Amino acid sequence: MKPQHDLDYEALVKEDRVHISLYTDPTVFSDEMDKIFHRGWVYVGHQGEVPQPGDFRLKRIGLQPVIMVRDQAGTVQLLLNRCRHRGATVCQEKQGNTRSFRCMYHGWTYQTDGALSGVPGMDAYGDEFQREDLSLAKVPRVASYRGFIFGSLSPAGITLEEHLGRAAAELDLFVGLSEAEDVEVVSGTHQYSYQANWKLAAENSMDGYHPMITHASFGQALMDKIQNSPSPEQRREDRDFASFRGATIDMGNGHVMLDYKMRIYDSLNGDPTPAVRAMTPEGQAHLEELTRRFGHQRAANMLREGGTHTFIFPNLILIGIQMRVLQPLRADYTEVCLYPTLLKWLAPEVNTIRLRSHEAFFGSASFGGPDDSEIFERIQDGCAVQLEPWQLLSRGLHRQRHENGMILGEMADEVTQRGIWRQWKKVMTQGTGVARTTRQRTGNGVARKRG
Amino acid sequence: MAFDRQQVEQFLYHEADLMDEHRYDEWLALWADDALYWVPTGRDDINPAREISLIYDDHVRLQVRIARLKSGFAHAQEPKSRMRRLVSNILLTEEANGEITASSNFLLAELRRGKQDIFAGRTIHRLRPQNDSFKLVSKKVLLVNNNEPIDNLTFLI
Repeated sequence: MKPQHDLDYEALVKEDRVHISLYTDPTVFSDEMDKIFHRGWVYVGHQGEVPQPGDFRLKRIGLQPVIMVRDQAGTVQLLLNRCRHRGATVCQEKQGNTRSFRCMYHGWTYQTDGALSGVPGMDAYGDEFQREDLSLAKVPRVASYRGFIFGSLSPAGITLEEHLGRAAAELDLFVGLSEAEDVEVVSGTHQYSYQANWKLAAENSMDGYHPMITHASFGQALMDKIQNSPSPEQRREDRDFASFRGATIDMGNGHVMLDYKMRIYDSLNGDPTPAVRAMTPEGQAHLEELTRRFGHQRAANMLREGGTHTFIFPNLILIGIQMRVLQPLRADYTEVCLYPTLLKWLAPEVNTIRLRSHEAFFGSASFGGPDDSEIFERIQDGCAVQLEPWQLLSRGLHRQRHENGMILGEMADEVTQRGIWRQWKKVMTQGTGVARTTRQRTGNGVARKRG
Repeated sequence: MAFDRQQVEQFLYHEADLMDEHRYDEWLALWADDALYWVPTGRDDINPAREISLIYDDHVRLQVRIARLKSGFAHAQEPKSRMRRLVSNILLTEEANGEITASSNFLLAELRRGKQDIFAGRTIHRLRPQNDSFKLVSKKVLLVNNNEPIDNLTFLI
């Protein structure tokens, strides 16, 4: 559905505030699906979700159903889930393994690479009927970076590398304690939904200001732990975790992150290994394995860098061991999938600890995530107020600094939210999404150099 | 059988009431020290060592769950869910060690922020006879919708 009128996004998105209609207006939502999700690069899934030929998962790009399937030759395909005859979906299960996809209306059958291999009663068609022309439609552009598979429904536009830009380094870090193919995505999915706009989860995932209030019930448990910490080192470490230390970073192209790298290990003269050793027997085992594999120095560097906490515009979030995918479905309804990962080389009991830690904070029955969702729904309700219809995003605007083409701020500043909205406005006002013509792309390159 | 069926049923109904009425401390007191409170996600039978669950609480995490719900800062339960559930289709098995496995179905109406949801599933309780009653050793809840997005499961299920 096309918008009835041109929305003035310049007026609705200001540097320090955005208009609440951008969270509620169905016309804006349709426009977002068109320009952001149906034209730009969108994260679809990880190759580790479909390790064997025939493995498939049902996904979406924007609102369009896509089958992510590893074909018999081993290539991961993104196929649109719609029979080319009379249009029924050909795949009904969320995941599984198959040799083919069959439409149960008239029996048209497709191979895992999308090729149409069976048409009952072929003799009813004339000579001009070519099976080769009627494969399942493929997502026009598919690209993978370190196992992360992205798709674009636009046949032309910038490359995935151009889209990822500096954020590629954070994908490296996510798989950096391993080799890409060592990331296992076999631990199930936390699926949850909330009755509010998708951008609220994007903003919140990179919000360093909210944890001690929104997650006060979790923070209280942490404070109790600090009170009862067995050693001064442990107390210092726990207090570090509960602090605002760290940085907000806008990496450009809407990719933003919370940088915790310096946080935990500063007080240990840059060598994180004593801290890890102090934590738990599992931490000790983890450290020993890291050291055995990579040597002490590299292991120490990896631990100092820690995990990543990054938003890849418009729909992928990497936090700790999880990949999180936002699925907008209506202006006021969003579904979210969390995919925790295992590292093949870690001791099984350490991988299990990683899963149990994840469950404590994430998922519909956990001690963290549901409180965020509750806030999203309160914001959506609050958007019914028409007086003073703005969301303020001005924290730290006066003190943010530009370094190496990035914008940096303090942990509880709104650098990250402003970064997401700057890209949002850019894509929405260009009218053609990030799939730009060559001429426009060149122009952007010049601007980037200047910035 | 060595146990009284009616006594087991009373235990299950009592537990249901405690959950419906947010009587957290009384509910926590039902559990044995070696507790396991398990709500799988994705499908009913998963390997918890390699796969996540919605809930996989030992007794320590059960205590944290209850402390959080009582803290006044568990926003997803502020206001609290209004709930009533039915427990039915109860099948009992006596195990070799004298414990009792009770399988039952439940149907729960849950209302919060003007939205009423229906949850249903099968629950497998493991009960250890103690004095005149039981300790709850483990509880596995097989939700009908455990492979679908769920808004909020922060109440006791």
